[in-house]
Amino acid sequence: MSDTRERRNIANALLRFLPSAAVFVAGLVAWELWVNVRDVPAYLYPSPSEIGGELRDEGLSLAVDDLRWTMIEAVLGFLLGSGAAMFAAVVFVHAKFLERVLFPWAIVLQTVPIVAVAPLLTIWFGFTLTPKVLIAALICFFPVLVNTTKGLRSISTQAVELMSILSASKWSIFWRVRIPSSLPYVFAGLKVASSLSVIGAIVAEFTGADRGIGFVIIQASYRLDTRLMFAGIALSSAAGVLFFNVIGALERLALRWPDARLDR
Amino acid sequence: MTNSGGITIDGVGMQFDGRQGVTALDGIDLDISAGEFVTLVGPSGCGKSTLLRIVSGLLEPTSGRVDVSGKTPNQARRDVDFGFVFQEPALFPWLRVLGNVLLPGRVLGRRNPNKGPESAEIARELLRDVGLEGFENHYPGQISGGMQQRVALARALSYGPKILLMDEPFGALDEFTRDRLNLQLLDVCNKAGSTVLFVTHSIQEAIFLADRVVVLSPRPGSIARIADVPWPKPRALEIRYEPEFAALTGELRGLLTVEDEVESAMNQP
Repeated sequence: MSDTRERRNIANALLRFLPSAAVFVAGLVAWELWVNVRDVPAYLYPSPSEIGGELRDEGLSLAVDDLRWTMIEAVLGFLLGSGAAMFAAVVFVHAKFLERVLFPWAIVLQTVPIVAVAPLLTIWFGFTLTPKVLIAALICFFPVLVNTTKGLRSISTQAVELMSILSASKWSIFWRVRIPSSLPYVFAGLKVASSLSVIGAIVAEFTGADRGIGFVIIQASYRLDTRLMFAGIALSSAAGVLFFNVIGALERLALRWPDARLDR
Repeated sequence: MTNSGGITIDGVGMQFDGRQGVTALDGIDLDISAGEFVTLVGPSGCGKSTLLRIVSGLLEPTSGRVDVSGKTPNQARRDVDFGFVFQEPALFPWLRVLGNVLLPGRVLGRRNPNKGPESAEIARELLRDVGLEGFENHYPGQISGGMQQRVALARALSYGPKILLMDEPFGALDEFTRDRLNLQLLDVCNKAGSTVLFVTHSIQEAIFLADRVVVLSPRPGSIARIADVPWPKPRALEIRYEPEFAALTGELRGLLTVEDEVESAMNQP
């Protein structure tokens, strides 16, 4: 019985996904027709079928040789940036003074254009993983910081009073109330960060790398190889979507109670 | 520790800072003996909830003192002598019903008088007593408001507190649910033998539940009258239709000024 329900759920999910898929396909068809009918120069506007061919021929090697590195950078940066942000949020919640002193600088950090910082880090750290990981971490930091701080503060007065009636320690309140109440917010922040981290890694690769999707795209642009550029764009977006969905799956595992997820 | 569970409130006053320096409570004297069920009734803004928070040590009064079985409210709170049921159920949505009832025990750890497998058995029994058998594994988000409030009651009793403080716990519920919960509450409290201080703005509910009703009048919150309720316990809902019950209701309502009477009548379900 649960098997049929499972199947029905999958069918429902597919059905819900159908309209967006149809829009996507319609867009591709329109694009293909436009390229063929107007006879635009193929080196400027490759048609979807040409990009598809490129992906078929080069996709695997692109994924193994380049996308792999981009994703390693993105994931490491995501872990570093989110970890640092969660730590900072915990500190902020327990030391208002530090929050007052440091939060304005977190905002400044957020407003610094990473495109401008990336070359600087490349000068400092060379063509290594480090600048890419740092840029990805930088871009992840703020959304996770803001969401986690908000989440840790989202506990009700009555929950605090209840814990006070039980003469609970600060640690107990933190562990049993603050952490679980913060989880929905934390995951909302992590989902934003997961998609941003891929962008951060690619931008960092633009400024100095010898491998990675960002490197492939920038090299292809020098050669006006738009087909390869599109292939790189398609692959990196797919990887970003995949990463986002991995975090989404973890969220569903962690937030099992009704109405826990903020974006539902 | 004689009179364990008794409360003596002696000249308690509470002034809140602010633009006008509101006096919430003024010269409250009240003796509550162990095992007694006392209700505090009055219109909004008469300081009922404030008084509960002073007794439980959540708030420090600006004048007077409270003695809880020979201890200050803060000492009593540290000894976990209190159970508290709030206006909102205030359950943790990420814990199932049973988990919510077991939460105090987990927080108390070694200080919990009911330990180990025994505590789970007590939690299940309390849930049975409040009519929630079979809902142990539901999440709070999956049950009604009345059921949530019953979980909150079971949670407050789960560690055997000597004193149960209830702050308009059934105010948001419909009349039928409220009636049923009133009966269950009397039943459960009778079984636990705890002292109860119960805040409500329904005069009927106050009389039905109480051994003694304390009527508070507002601005500043002070005691207008303490009335003994003669009906023996256990009580049936039907006593509310007896003429003496109606007479007492009318008498207590008459104590509140005309303006406040309108307010409190509007607050009745």
